[in-house]
Amino acid sequence: MNVRRYGRVFREFFRACLVEEMEYRSEFFGNVISSFFGIGMALLTIQIFFYQTDRLGGWTYGEVLVLLGVFNTLRGCIDFALRPNMPRLLEHVRRGTLDYVLTKPVDSMFYVSFRHLVFWRLIDVVLGFGVIGYGLYVERYVPSVADVLVFLVVMAASFLLIYSLWMMLMTTSFWVVRIDDLSFIFDSFFETARFPGSMYRGAVRMVITYILPAVLITNTPALALLGKWSARTAFAALVVALLFLWIARRFWRFALRFYTGAGG
Amino acid sequence: MIRKYIALLRMKYIEMLAYRLATFVWMTGAITQPLITMFVWMNIHPEESESFVFYFMAVIFVERMTSAWDVWELDREIREGTFSNLLLRPLHPIHWAIAENIVYKWLFLVILVPVWTVGAAFWPALRPHMTGSQIGWFLLAVVLGAALRFLLSYSCGLLAFWVTKVAAVYGVIDVISLFLSGRIAPLELLPPRLQEWSEWLPFRYMISFPIEIATGAADGGELVRGFAIAGGWMVVLTAALQWLWRAGMRKNQAVGG
Repeated sequence: MNVRRYGRVFREFFRACLVEEMEYRSEFFGNVISSFFGIGMALLTIQIFFYQTDRLGGWTYGEVLVLLGVFNTLRGCIDFALRPNMPRLLEHVRRGTLDYVLTKPVDSMFYVSFRHLVFWRLIDVVLGFGVIGYGLYVERYVPSVADVLVFLVVMAASFLLIYSLWMMLMTTSFWVVRIDDLSFIFDSFFETARFPGSMYRGAVRMVITYILPAVLITNTPALALLGKWSARTAFAALVVALLFLWIARRFWRFALRFYTGAGG
Repeated sequence: MIRKYIALLRMKYIEMLAYRLATFVWMTGAITQPLITMFVWMNIHPEESESFVFYFMAVIFVERMTSAWDVWELDREIREGTFSNLLLRPLHPIHWAIAENIVYKWLFLVILVPVWTVGAAFWPALRPHMTGSQIGWFLLAVVLGAALRFLLSYSCGLLAFWVTKVAAVYGVIDVISLFLSGRIAPLELLPPRLQEWSEWLPFRYMISFPIEIATGAADGGELVRGFAIAGGWMVVLTAALQWLWRAGMRKNQAVGG
């Protein structure tokens, strides 16, 4: 019942943002072009790497393409639902207008993370799936039903992980109000997920595999789709995701207590 | 003029101190992309890891020293109309931008050189092997690179008198420069056609060229050729900037009123 209610609220956010965006229809083509340009340049980068080699961290060209597709899809989702909300929360905290959000009869964490949506970013999601398809074609691999099911599960885990990490970063805005936009901290970390985790060495590899699981977020779905999954990894991904979600939730609650104390 | 510049520099310095946290975070933000690219190349050619470490650390250093942000400033100022305030002042607005560049890059230098020195003490790969004249040419190339990037960025910014999306235009140029300036790969690893393009376009001289001097890849005839092409672009971009400025001023009066 509660889920249904939040589903309805989300649909309402969706509608409100769509109406808003329809006012700027002329921007649509520019945005489409910039999305195509972005993915084109990413493909060119990989071309340049594979001009010198045929393996990157043990992954073939087609496999890296699938990975890039997953990366682009996830980044499209971030840009669609999460990124537009970051500056607004900072603004709320700075001006004290967060009070209005807190008095609304919806969960405040849900509200501050999904209130604003930028639709044209969904193009990146579509392009991402296009690249995944092309990568699979290059690999000459047709995923089995089991592959796709595992892919969906670990992709869901990735969503949860991204959301939790993003939310934790966003929550720090209660203390760091001076910076306009914290999202590039997330971006710098997320950039590492563009390539196979096996490519990194030493301490960096440890950090992005176990502490900030960037590698987990993109590599596991890509491997699942390529048929190189194990039930244990999929299960671990789901557990880690739920753990991070729980931490993010606790951190948000903690920050809210701090806000009440300071805001007055 | 010197007295004016001292005043400008002092003002920009105080302004920077007010935003020191943002400055610091912004500085660290530019480091990840070269580091990731470094890991890619170390994976592709493990036997040359040492030289890739030096190359990409140098990319971070030179990129910071030559970086240009004027296009976003101009875009915002012209769009919001605050640019008129600068125009009313007795000094050409470009001097404010130059002073700002000097102050920030001085700060980068003061932070990055000690970091590099400490790093070089621990990792031999970071120790440069340069002769006196090489150091001189390197520094000159960095200054030239900074000037080129500044001119390009400022000229693009002036386009804001005509179009509203100059930041997007500059974004495209910046992505192209990723490949041709040596940030995605050391230029000698690019396909031959791209190498040829990089030689004649200005982007190589903004980042890769100083590093090539430092590693000894560009010396003798190559050095002279590089400076000649960079100098040529310097002239072209200066002329473009002046022309855009004059045309922009006419346009500005016509619309702003």
